[in-house]
Amino acid sequence: MIALTGIPVLETERLVLRAPQPQDGPGYVAFMMSERAQYVGGPLPERRAWYAFATEFGHWATRQFGMWAVTEKGSDICLGYVGCWSPQTWPEAEIGWTLWPEAEGRGIAYEAALAARAHAYGTLGWATAVSYIDYGNERSARLAERLGARLDPEALFPGHDMGAEPCRVYRHPAPEDLA
Amino acid sequence: MIPTLETERLILRPLCEETDFEPMAAFFASERSGFYGGPCDRAQAWRKTAVYPGHWALRGYGPFALEEKATGRFAGLAGPWFPEGFPEPEITWMLCDGFEGRGLATEAALRGLRFAYETLGWRTAVSSIEPRNGPSLRVAERLGAVHEYDFRIGDSDLGIFRHLSPAVLAEMAA
Repeated sequence: MIALTGIPVLETERLVLRAPQPQDGPGYVAFMMSERAQYVGGPLPERRAWYAFATEFGHWATRQFGMWAVTEKGSDICLGYVGCWSPQTWPEAEIGWTLWPEAEGRGIAYEAALAARAHAYGTLGWATAVSYIDYGNERSARLAERLGARLDPEALFPGHDMGAEPCRVYRHPAPEDLA
Repeated sequence: MIPTLETERLILRPLCEETDFEPMAAFFASERSGFYGGPCDRAQAWRKTAVYPGHWALRGYGPFALEEKATGRFAGLAGPWFPEGFPEPEITWMLCDGFEGRGLATEAALRGLRFAYETLGWRTAVSSIEPRNGPSLRVAERLGAVHEYDFRIGDSDLGIFRHLSPAVLAEMAA
């Protein structure tokens, strides 16, 4: 592979957020092929799931930020992807999270999302951030609330101009409100 | 680092998401994209566009963006390509509306094939083509590729065409 350079490593109390690696592929693809991916554009057939995985690398390569692989300290095994996501077509930049089922229920996504948001506000200089959450994805909605984000009924959702299904837009507290 | 290559009429360079996305979105909005996973909306088109730099990062190679020398316009993509699930690494190509019918795909694919042999060290290469994709079948024929076997992936039946070997290609260039 061509190493994606300059991807920072974030550390939290329990976690290391590192650059995506090819060895994360099988877990990523398995998740995107499963019913659990229903709120993040899945389930997808294998080939499209791999394309989604490649897009994680492509986002870093083109935007110079993206989603990190979340690992627990002392293990390099990827538990999911959390980070900063901003395709050119989206109305706003997002803090996103997707955790494999076996890693759920221990506050890992919360811890990782806090670190990603701090990076977005600090290093990347974002003035605001949203999280786009599908209707029905109550687990993610609860996490957004726990992060202090609130529904923003005025905000546009991805694909609003293309006839896409609406989703909920949670707006995170502004940098100055977290300081 | 993604290199930049040249042919008589084209520059083969890294895809630039900022400037190449609009023509990619136009391609994926058109019927021409039917053999490339389209047509689809702009959001899906962005994901498909980001797959290419992602492929470079994952595989160490990938398709190049094609820029027409005469106009500076983005003309399409061509080069080595090996998504998960495909039977073999291959040479792919696609042209945007308005660039077809002038042999540009053949020119770009041939340069991509030479890059795969000379720089990446491939000893063989194929291209997978849907049987209804007449223009691409003709490109394969012009390149001297020969139908070798069929492969089913998802809902698509692909013909697998074997390209000229590195030795034969080098001989022709000499």
